[in-house]
Amino acid sequence: MSRVLATYNIKGGVGKTSAAVNLAYLAARSGASTLLWDLDPQGASTYLFRVRPKVAGGVRKLVRRRSDVEKLIKGTDYEHLDLLPADFSYRHMDLALDAAKHSTDRLARVLEPLRREYEYIFLDCPPSISLVSENVFEAADALLVPIIPATLSSRTFEQLEALVRGGPQVLAFFSMVEVRKSLHREVMAQLRAAHVTMLGAAIPSADEVERMGVQRAVVAEIAPGGRAAIAYEALWWDVRRRLAVARGVG
Amino acid sequence: MKPTGTDLLLPDGTTPAAVLDTLSTRLSLREGPAGARDRRFYDTFDGLLRAAGLAFVHESGRSVLLAIDDGSEQAAMPAPNPPEHVFVADLEPGPLRDALAGIIEVRALLPLVRIHGVQHAFGVLDDSAKTVVRLALEEPAVLGSHGRRVTLAARIRLGAVRGYDKELRRVLDTLVDDLGLRPAERSELDDAVLATGASPGGVSSKVDVALARDERSDVAVASILRRLAEVMECNLPGVIAEVDPEFLHDYRVAVRRSRAVMKELKRVFPAEQLARFRVELRWLQQVTGPARDLDVYVLDFDELRSGLAEPARSDLEPLLRVLRARRALAHRDMVRALRSDRAMELRAQWPAFLPELVTLPAEGRPDAMRPIGELTGERIVKVYRRMIKMGRAIDDSSPPESLHELRKQGKELRYLLELFGLPLHPGDVVKPLVRSLKALQDTLGRHQDREVQIATLRSLRDDVVTLRGGAGALMAMGVLIEHLGEDERSARAEFADRFASFAAKEQRALVRETFTS
Repeated sequence: MSRVLATYNIKGGVGKTSAAVNLAYLAARSGASTLLWDLDPQGASTYLFRVRPKVAGGVRKLVRRRSDVEKLIKGTDYEHLDLLPADFSYRHMDLALDAAKHSTDRLARVLEPLRREYEYIFLDCPPSISLVSENVFEAADALLVPIIPATLSSRTFEQLEALVRGGPQVLAFFSMVEVRKSLHREVMAQLRAAHVTMLGAAIPSADEVERMGVQRAVVAEIAPGGRAAIAYEALWWDVRRRLAVARGVG
Repeated sequence: MKPTGTDLLLPDGTTPAAVLDTLSTRLSLREGPAGARDRRFYDTFDGLLRAAGLAFVHESGRSVLLAIDDGSEQAAMPAPNPPEHVFVADLEPGPLRDALAGIIEVRALLPLVRIHGVQHAFGVLDDSAKTVVRLALEEPAVLGSHGRRVTLAARIRLGAVRGYDKELRRVLDTLVDDLGLRPAERSELDDAVLATGASPGGVSSKVDVALARDERSDVAVASILRRLAEVMECNLPGVIAEVDPEFLHDYRVAVRRSRAVMKELKRVFPAEQLARFRVELRWLQQVTGPARDLDVYVLDFDELRSGLAEPARSDLEPLLRVLRARRALAHRDMVRALRSDRAMELRAQWPAFLPELVTLPAEGRPDAMRPIGELTGERIVKVYRRMIKMGRAIDDSSPPESLHELRKQGKELRYLLELFGLPLHPGDVVKPLVRSLKALQDTLGRHQDREVQIATLRSLRDDVVTLRGGAGALMAMGVLIEHLGEDERSARAEFADRFASFAAKEQRALVRETFTS
């Protein structure tokens, strides 16, 4: 059965794209056929995979299912990992969704034919609360939520849980962690105590994560065996375990 | 025509290293990981996967079903160790099981060949250093007979990256037109199988013997029987080792076909040898019968049971245990018979007699020198007419035996048509005749199978009742017997229609016209 996983946070710059790209890479590396849909008009993950940010026909045709989505997909440098690229027209995705019928499940419908082919589908989402995020909540089986352990992060988490109640599973994890900062350590301890759904793995703020944009590669290639690469592996293991538990397998 | 294959062989006399050097001046390459590969391939004895364009391989803790033409994965599952053999029934439910089920059915996937080798992977890059084509250089070797390592031709395999078809064609053109590589005619797997001395596609039980209409009948009959003896011989080890039930099935079909040929074309044989070998082959048929009947019973058990409602369905479990135990005993007895001196003598003497047949004097063998087309045409008409006569005599008051006798004749007609009809007579007559015969035989077969099943169930009652849950099973068996009885009656009711189309006026005219000319 295919699983749709969305990296999502209302705030920007928290490590959504890094998580989507590195986790999708790990899924594909295990042999599972994997798709990443770059929903962010800025196209950061499309850029990382060196694919042209272009979707023929633009967002309007795509959300109305007038384009053959299978023809828009591009293979990446990594086996079993494909990309549905970003397009600049995605900046008007809200309008395109609003203009279509069934405006909250358009993305789920676009994904429908792909769920047979891909074991994992990752959605790299733009930061916002909008019709796009409503669509993401409808389409996703789980939200992967990166949280920077700073003030107000607990509030972000609670807001999100309230927002998606009854929707996809919320799997939050700490991102851009600096263990030398006592504030980070304190916030992490507090949040873990207060929210049992918080994942154990935490992604450090590391040079190799920042270098992804320069080298246009995943951390496992930039610094294999490095702190970040190990953290993403732990995170992926944690995510799969939670998914299995939710499905009643584990 | 442009080659469509993506497996390329190096030009003669070049080394992989030299080709790589030239390649890197023409294409922008990024070297990926190099590593040893150890792949174990599997297929059924008769090569069902290859015939479907697929290959089953175990590599690095996974079992994978691949498309042979482009190497794409169709389905996979984790498997820490390479399996000894694979049955659909033993696989976890999932895409791999689903993909295999329709193709191999009850057959076992057996180890076919093991390919070792070093693989160097490369990405062919575009202007933004993005991989647009995958390229792998393979230097494979296979372990042949007696543990001998045989090196296979080095290959360059191109892998498509989705959405970059134009780039793939461009790279293929460069490799073929500019660098002189040539598309491989055979898959790497076929290359490896050939290197072990086996033949790609496995061992078929088909009888595909070329015959000419005016050929001497004894020559034609001897070639058909030699091929059937070969089929028996090929399947025998699998029968004895109980690899999968199809070995025994194919073995018995070959025995039965041989017997039908001897019976229908008896006047090409000298009387004394004919009598002797007919007795011996009949014996083979008999000693393998109970094991096959019980195989079928166990294989069909789920279907049989599916006709029952719960809880009767689960109540039948003790019956399955009894059937399995009986089946094991029947197989033991069969293997003992097949290993006996009598069977060994037959195995040696029967295939030795067949080439001799054509050298024997023609006296006492009045049909030996007649053209096979004429002789088989005559026999086909004769058996067909006999069936018409027998079938017409059957009415609602006829005993079941009359249907069984008709079915036996039907089998003989079917074998005559399959072995001699298709190669020697017009297909547009033979094929529809076989079709209407098959439909009739299916009905007659169902009628008889149900009767035998009912008798078997009755004979097992004493065994079943002594087991835990035996009383419940006995009740469920009662319901089953009732269902089987209903189906037997419905087959009997179908008979008239099926026979009518088999014996239709136009078909009779066509048979007379085609086979008596």
